Amino acid sequence: MKISFTPRWILLICLLLARLAGTAQDSASIYTAQLLQPSADSVRTHAIGRLAALRIPATFPLLMAINDKKLYLLDQKAVTIDSKPSGEGTYRLYTLYPENTLMKNSSGQPLLFPLSALQAVDIPRGDRLQLAGIASLLNLYSNDAQKRILAYTQLKNTGDSSAQQLLQDALARETNTDASRTGKDVLYAAKLHGATNAANAKAYIDSITDNWSDNAPVLLRSYAKSGFFNQEVATYAAEKAASLEKRYDGLQRIQNFFSGLSLGSILILIALGLSIVYGLAGIINMAHGEFMMIGAYTTYCTQLFFTNVLGIPQTDFFFIAALPISFVVAGALGLLLERLVIRHLYAKPLESLLATWGVSLILIQTARLLFGDLTAVKTPLLLTGGWQVSPHLTLPYNRLFIIALTLVMVLLTYAMLYRSRLGLQIRAVTQNRQMSACLGIETRRIAAVTFFIGSGLAGLAGCAITLVGNVVPDMGQTYIVDSFLVVVTGGVGKLAGTILSGLGIGFFTKVLEAFFQAVYGKVFILVFIMLFMQYKPKGLFPDKGRIAED
Amino acid sequence: MKTKNNPLYYILFIAIFAILLPAGYMSGLISVNTISVWGRYFCFAIAALGIDLIWGYTGILSMCQAFFFCLGSYGIAMHLLLKKTMATGAVLPDFMAWNKIETLPLFWQPFQSFGWTLLLCLLVPALIAFAAGFVLFRSRIKGVYMAIITQALTLAMWLLFLRNETNLGGTNGLTDFKTLLGYDLSSSSVKLGLYMISFTMLCAAYFGCYRITHSKFGKVLQAIRDSESRISYAAYKVVDYKLAIFVVAALLAAVGGMLYLPQTGIITPGRMDVKASVEMVMWVALGGRGNLKGAVIGALLVNFLYSVCTSLFPDSWLFILGFLFVITVLYFDKGFMGLANSIKQRFSTGSFKTSQTPL
Repeated sequence: MKISFTPRWILLICLLLARLAGTAQDSASIYTAQLLQPSADSVRTHAIGRLAALRIPATFPLLMAINDKKLYLLDQKAVTIDSKPSGEGTYRLYTLYPENTLMKNSSGQPLLFPLSALQAVDIPRGDRLQLAGIASLLNLYSNDAQKRILAYTQLKNTGDSSAQQLLQDALARETNTDASRTGKDVLYAAKLHGATNAANAKAYIDSITDNWSDNAPVLLRSYAKSGFFNQEVATYAAEKAASLEKRYDGLQRIQNFFSGLSLGSILILIALGLSIVYGLAGIINMAHGEFMMIGAYTTYCTQLFFTNVLGIPQTDFFFIAALPISFVVAGALGLLLERLVIRHLYAKPLESLLATWGVSLILIQTARLLFGDLTAVKTPLLLTGGWQVSPHLTLPYNRLFIIALTLVMVLLTYAMLYRSRLGLQIRAVTQNRQMSACLGIETRRIAAVTFFIGSGLAGLAGCAITLVGNVVPDMGQTYIVDSFLVVVTGGVGKLAGTILSGLGIGFFTKVLEAFFQAVYGKVFILVFIMLFMQYKPKGLFPDKGRIAED
Repeated sequence: MKTKNNPLYYILFIAIFAILLPAGYMSGLISVNTISVWGRYFCFAIAALGIDLIWGYTGILSMCQAFFFCLGSYGIAMHLLLKKTMATGAVLPDFMAWNKIETLPLFWQPFQSFGWTLLLCLLVPALIAFAAGFVLFRSRIKGVYMAIITQALTLAMWLLFLRNETNLGGTNGLTDFKTLLGYDLSSSSVKLGLYMISFTMLCAAYFGCYRITHSKFGKVLQAIRDSESRISYAAYKVVDYKLAIFVVAALLAAVGGMLYLPQTGIITPGRMDVKASVEMVMWVALGGRGNLKGAVIGALLVNFLYSVCTSLFPDSWLFILGFLFVITVLYFDKGFMGLANSIKQRFSTGSFKTSQTPL
């Protein structure tokens, strides 16, 4: 029999298909109704079994709600709740079959309900077990992006074309970029392996390349090795993989550069105070790192105060308050130290080095007795996460904040040193102590103020460091030698030198870490500094002219 | 300041440590552990003499003496470990087998012979000191710069020694030795022997340093300390002098380390961290720098205090040490010896006068 595909035939087929689809939809709504108000337990069991077998995406959220025991009734309509509460014990609601949407009020805000307003629908375990077989598919429609990603990866190795179709449907409504990337990767990989000609395969290789998931280079490489069609396609895949890897390396380099920048800014923040104090008073303050530790603990105490005494759990406020508080507390303790110990040691750098080392031992032990060995400060909500420049390059907000803070502090210090009367006096005392005293500058007072500022800057650095690390009593020691290296390389008391060498040392540390291991990077830097000092024994920016020594 | 040629102190010192202590042990009054502990202190004192030479007499604050000390210790430790490994029939020390290393690393090879070990223990620190000193002194790095750079050097080396890849035992260091040249290290007589050797070496080092400081060479060193530019205007090659004394100090530290190891039975990178290296300098500062007796007494005193305090009040040792640092620097610039001298002067002249020697 000869069938001619006239328009009439096509119309007929279309009608038939529509009818079939309609039947499926109808039966799904019947089963859903049976499930919610079963006339008998066996009816409900049958309804769930049928729904699981039909695999209609629109019913998936409903089935998942059953599977997760989160099916509720609100005004006789089936709803489900978010995985986490969105307020004080209230949840956002999602309607279930036939429409799967977030419930909103008239002004477009999500509606919040307490659990008590909802009527829980209890489905026995035996019925729920019927869904075990399609559990991974159900997750495709989860409200939780992580679960969806998991579901996509679970579909990776299924050659099943109906699963592919489901995947495609799910991807069409995917909103999360990460999940979408993973899902597309799985889909394209499956299609690539099922491709029937070279042109198609190449098109899918291109899609995978454009999608660029973490897995893409590995995927393309293994495809290139298997050599499905001919050498040409294989080479093409290998080329694409190589180009992806190259781009990834490039981004990695930017990431390294960024970490170097952030390490450098921490070093600058610490070294700034160190450098000013040494330049002005000839004091090597080995306890400088401990003022950083004090700043960090002040931040920790501020957090405790805010959460426990004031009852403000939000992390943003305490951190904003902690910035000035840590500056003042560390500065005040620095002033105390200056009054008690340091003022006897002006212009005796080596002696001050030993005495302040003693002070640092005392401070560390005090902190250990007071706080124990390990405490951590919560990162403010504002600074969690990062700026996603591209899928493979994320710049964390906390590090960006540290860089910005350093920038601000450097500018403030610059303004203080070069644009204010105090700064003028500080620079005068730094240049020539006796002469400044003769001209009526109270050198002792200036020194004390400088010490306050220097210690305060260290405290601020400590506050910033709580964003990236733990608070431990001997945290200052990790940075002190490095920051002294910054001072030495930059030239004592030189703002520009401190900034340049701080950035340089931070940057080189991270770059060398990428090539060698962290430790060897450090050794290299040291060797480099020693060689550098052959040419610039007085740092990057030495004083002009010759100053007689002794 | 110097109680010149007053033999009473020396006789007292020798009487206590060479006769009284061993005699106490023989008669059973003093345990062998006490003997061994003092033997260790002598090793520290030897290193302290080196620090006094370089810092007290020449004015160069070197913070890497702890590193040289450890180099000596590690050298001997490698030898002992290889001997022990051979005795048990294994090819490699345990920790290397754990790190999945098949053959003995090349730099471990020479340590199989005791002669080579002794030579290398001295040669390696000397060479490193020479190289570092050459670079640093040539570019006229001094004072605080010198202190910071040598400190950074120690820090970098400490980090290196912490790694497993350097094949030096990592954080755990080298330990569990059995014999030295066939003598059982755990036996009491060997411990007493090591104590006596350390004591003899301390005396020898002291008199060596005494000769150095009272020679013309020593006078130049002190001149460098007091005014480096003036002595260089007088056509002395400051760099050569500094380099020589830096190497001597490194050697003394290494000798101390070599003797230290068989008496403690363990060496870890912890001996050369930032804290340890500053502490070594502090022995000399507390005892009295620019004074050889001060260095010896400072090393013995601080370590003795340490063992007493950590057993009596473990939490407050750091407080005590910290306060000692601060108070010494603020009020007793010449350390313990300076204090003793000024008290003596006060009794002899009736007026309190601090000593006038420039420092």
